[in-house]
Amino acid sequence: MSAREIFSSRNPYFAISVGVVAGIFVLTAVGGFIILPYAQPELKFAGIWDVICSAAGLPQRSASSDAVQPVRRLSEVVLTPTTLAHPTQESIGRGATLAQRCAICHGPTGVSRADSPNLAGQYGIVIYKELVDFRSGARTNAVMAPFAVNLTDREIVDLAAYYAFLPRLPAYHPQQQLRKPRVVIYGAPIRGVAPCGSCHGSLDNKAGSPWLEGQSETYLKFQLHAFASGQRTNDISQQMRNIARAMTPQEIDEAAAYYASQPSEIVKATD
Amino acid sequence: MTVQDGHHGAEVAERTEKRWAMISIIIIVMLVLLAAFAGIHQATMPQARVETTDPARLHLSGEFVESNLGTAAEADGTVTVRAIGQQYSFTPSCILVPAQTPVTLRATSADVVHGILIQGTNVNTMLVPGYVSEQFMRFEKTGDHLMPCQEFCSFGHEGMWGKVKVIDKTEFASRAKNRGRLSCVGE
Amino acid sequence: MLVNRKLILAHFWLAFGGFGLALLLGAWQMFVRSPLYAWISNPEWYYRSLTAHGTVMGYVFPTLVAMGFGYAITESALQQRLVGVRWAWAGFWLIVLGAVMAMVPVALGRASVLYTFYPPLIGNAFYYVGVVLVVVGSWIWVALMSINLRVWRREHPGEPVPLAMFANVAGSYLWAWTAVGAALELLLQIIPVALGWKTTIDAGLARVFFSWTLHAIVYFWLMPTYIAYYTIVPRAIGGRLYSDSMGRIAFILFLIVAMPIGIHHTFADPQVGAGFKFIHSAFTALVALPTLLTVFTICASVEIAGRLRGGRGLFGWIAVLPWKNPIMLAVAFSFVLLGFGGAGGLINMSYQLDTTVHNTQWITGHFHLIFGGAIVIMYFAIAYDLWPHLTGRALPDLRLARAQLWLWFVGMIVTTFPWHWVGILGMPRRMAYYDYADPAISPQAFSVTLSAIGAIILLISGLLFLFILATAHRQTATEAGAYRFSVAVHPPTTVPIALNTFALWVALMIGLTVTNYGYPIAVLASRPDTSVPAVYVGAQ
Repeated sequence: MSAREIFSSRNPYFAISVGVVAGIFVLTAVGGFIILPYAQPELKFAGIWDVICSAAGLPQRSASSDAVQPVRRLSEVVLTPTTLAHPTQESIGRGATLAQRCAICHGPTGVSRADSPNLAGQYGIVIYKELVDFRSGARTNAVMAPFAVNLTDREIVDLAAYYAFLPRLPAYHPQQQLRKPRVVIYGAPIRGVAPCGSCHGSLDNKAGSPWLEGQSETYLKFQLHAFASGQRTNDISQQMRNIARAMTPQEIDEAAAYYASQPSEIVKATD
Repeated sequence: MTVQDGHHGAEVAERTEKRWAMISIIIIVMLVLLAAFAGIHQATMPQARVETTDPARLHLSGEFVESNLGTAAEADGTVTVRAIGQQYSFTPSCILVPAQTPVTLRATSADVVHGILIQGTNVNTMLVPGYVSEQFMRFEKTGDHLMPCQEFCSFGHEGMWGKVKVIDKTEFASRAKNRGRLSCVGE
Repeated sequence: MLVNRKLILAHFWLAFGGFGLALLLGAWQMFVRSPLYAWISNPEWYYRSLTAHGTVMGYVFPTLVAMGFGYAITESALQQRLVGVRWAWAGFWLIVLGAVMAMVPVALGRASVLYTFYPPLIGNAFYYVGVVLVVVGSWIWVALMSINLRVWRREHPGEPVPLAMFANVAGSYLWAWTAVGAALELLLQIIPVALGWKTTIDAGLARVFFSWTLHAIVYFWLMPTYIAYYTIVPRAIGGRLYSDSMGRIAFILFLIVAMPIGIHHTFADPQVGAGFKFIHSAFTALVALPTLLTVFTICASVEIAGRLRGGRGLFGWIAVLPWKNPIMLAVAFSFVLLGFGGAGGLINMSYQLDTTVHNTQWITGHFHLIFGGAIVIMYFAIAYDLWPHLTGRALPDLRLARAQLWLWFVGMIVTTFPWHWVGILGMPRRMAYYDYADPAISPQAFSVTLSAIGAIILLISGLLFLFILATAHRQTATEAGAYRFSVAVHPPTTVPIALNTFALWVALMIGLTVTNYGYPIAVLASRPDTSVPAVYVGAQ
C-alpha cells in the first residue's frame, strides 16, 4: 500500500484514528477554552474573544493598579548579573584618579584603617549600586552623601571599575580566624535565612551582594542591625531586611565577628 | 479461560480483548469527566490569564513595588495579596490573611524560577520571572502555615521559607482600616 | 543471531556502570538530607550531586539501555546482521564523549543547575553541549533502527514486522521527536546564553519546551520495559503472547499520545493558558489506555503460561507459575510498582489534585516509583535474559538474581511510599537540608528516615546486580542458543498495513504536537518582552 492509500479516507485506520483524535481535540478545546472559563464565577471577561484568548494564553501586560507609593526613597538601581561585566582600562584609570578623594576613609589601597568598608577587589556592581543609592538618598550616611551627591553616572561606573580591579589585600583588623558559626554555614531554614555564602560570594554571588571577608566587625554589625530595624532600606524589595530581621542578636554578633576575622584573599572559593 | 486454538479461539480472544478495551476507555472517560466536573465545582483552577512583567524593574513601578507588597483589603470585601519571590526570600516574608474570605494571590519572581507552596492547603504555584502568577484561595481556619519555595532557585534554596498567618476576619478588618498594605513581618 | 555482541555489551556496561555511580550519589543524597545526618556544610555539594544523579539516570542510562537492547532486537528479531555497525559505534562514542563533557563541569561545581536546567539559571556551557552530544549520539541509533527495518522490509515484502522490532522502532521514533523539545531549548535558548552571546532568556518558554521532552521521555524509558513484557516474559515463563495486534496497538498509542501531553508538568505555571492545560490534561488521561491494554494482555499471557503448566481454577494458575525464574519475579514486581505508580500518575494529571502535590516530594516519590521501580526492574530482567547470549556464559546463580530483585522491590517500596507521604504533608523538593527540629516539619522526620533506609537497600541491590553481571563473564562457556522472542497464541500471518508501518502514526504524533504545543510555543517565542536576565550559577 502506498503512502496515498494509507492517508486516504478509505483506509479505516486513517479515518478512525484521525477522526477520534480530532474529535477529542475539539471536545477538550471547547471544554477548556469556553465552558470551564465561564464556569468560574470569580472570573470577569469582556466577551467571547477575551475568554478564548485568555484560555489560549495570549500574554497581556500586567494591568497598572493604584499602587501604594513608598514613604521613603528606595533604591532605583536596575541590577542584572551582567551589569558592568567588562570594564575598560580607561574607565579603571579615571576611577583611580577619582578614588583619591575616597582614600581618607577607605584607605589609599582600598583597605580601611577605620571602620569603613574595604573596597579593594569588591564586586564592581556593589560599588556601583551603593554609590547610586547614596546619591539618590536611598541609602543615607552623613559622611558618604556629600561625596556621592555630585558624582555623574560615568564617575560612578569608573569608581566601581577601579575598586573591582584592585587586588584583595589583607585587612587591618586581623584577629585569629574564628570558626564558622552555625548561621553562616546553614542559615536558619525555617526562619527563612539561607547560608550567608549563597549570596555573599563563598557559595555563589547574587548580583549586588558584596563579599564580606575582612570587613570591619563594627560596620557589619551596624549594618545588620540597621537592616533588621528598617533603618536601612536600600536593599531591593527587602532582600536583606528579610534575612537580618530573622536573625537573632547573637547570630548577628557571630556572623559579624566571623566575617571580620576572615582574610579577604579567600573570597569565593569557586572563582 | 483455556488456551484454545484455531479460528474459534481467535474469535474468543478478540471479543475478550475488545470488552477490556471498552472498559479501559470508560475508565478514562470517567477520569476526564471527573476533572472537568471538579473544575466547575470550586476546585483550584489554573490561572485564567497570562500576564507579563519585567522582573528587573519590579521595584521601580507597578503593583510589585515594595510599598505595595502585602495584603490589601478590597472594596468588595475580598483581599488581594501581592508578593514576590527572589533569591532567597519572599517579600513579605510573612503573609497575613483573614480567615473565611476570598483571597487573590498575585505574585511574581524578581530573578529566577521560584515556587509558592502553602503547607496544609492547596495553594501551590510557580513564580516564573517575566510572568505574573495569580491564584484564588480561601482559608477556613485561623493559624500559621509554612510557605517554602518549592522550586530549586540555586544554592540558597534550602533557606527560602516564608510564613502565612491566618487571622480572624474581624481582627483583620480592624487592622486594615487605614487601607495600607498588611503583613505579619516581625510579629 | 547476535553478531555484534561487543557493541551491545558496550552499551549495557556503560549504561549499568553509570547507573551504579548515579545510584551511589542518590543514596548519599537520601542519607545527607535525612535526620540520620547532621546538615551538610556546603549545600552546593548536594545540588552538584543531584545534577549528576539526574543527568545520568534521566538521559544517559535509559538511552543506552534502549540503544543496546534495540541493536539486540534488530539482529535477533529480524534475523539479519546489523547494518551500519560503524555508525552505531560512532553513536556510542558520541554518548561517551557527551557524558564526560557534561560531567566534568558538574563535578567541578560549575553546572549545579539540576538536570531539568530551569533557566534563567545558567551553568557552564560544556554541561549543555555534553547533553546535546548524548542526544545526537542517540539520534544515530534512531536512524539505524529505521534503516535496518527498511533493509528487512525490502527482503520480506508484505510480511508482518516482528512485534519486538515494531515496538523498538516505535520507541526510537518517539524518542527522536520527544528529544526535539529539550534540543530546541538547549540550542536556541540556553547554549547561546551560556556562551555569552546573549544575556537574556525566556524562562517561561524554556519550561514549555522542556515539558515537551520531560513527559514523553518517561515513555521512552518505558519502551524497553514494555517490549520485555510483550516479547520476553511470555517466552521466558513458558507461555504464549495473548495477542500480537494488541501489542502493536499499544505501542502505536504510545507513539501518538505520549508526546502532546507534557503541559501537565506546567499546570502551576503562569505562562501557559488554562485552555491548553485542560487539553493536555485530557490527553494525559488517554496515555493510560495503552498501559491498561498492556496489563490485560500480559496478565492473560501469564495466565496462559500458568494453565500450560497445569494450573486450575480461578487463581490456581498463579501458584504454579515459575516463581524461581527471575523474569517471572521481575514482571510481577514491575506490575505491582506500575500499579501504585500509575495510580499516583492519575493524581498528577488532574490539575485539581495536582495542586496539592505539585513540586512536593510526592512528585519525586512518583517518578522514582515509576522509573526506578516499574521500569528499571525490567531493565534488570532484560540484562539477565540477554546476558548468557551476549557472554556465551550462564548466569552464576539464579538465587543471587532473585535476591537482587527482591531487595530492589522491597527497597523501592520502603523508599518511595514514605516519600509520597511527606509530599502530601507539603515537603518541598530539592533542598539540601530540612530543619526537622521545627515542630511544623518534625512529623516528616520518621518518613524521611525510612526513605533513606530504603535507598541503602536499593544501593545494595544495585551493587549486587553489577556483581552478578560482572561475575557472569567468568563462568564456564555454554551455548545459549539463538535469542528468541515470545510467540503469539495466534501468530500473525498478515497484518493490516496500518499496524505494520509508521507513516500514519508519526504524522499523527507530529500533527498533535502542532495542535497542542504550536500556539503556546509560538505566542511566547514571538514576543520580545518576555525574556529576562540570565543568572549565572557560580559566576564571578
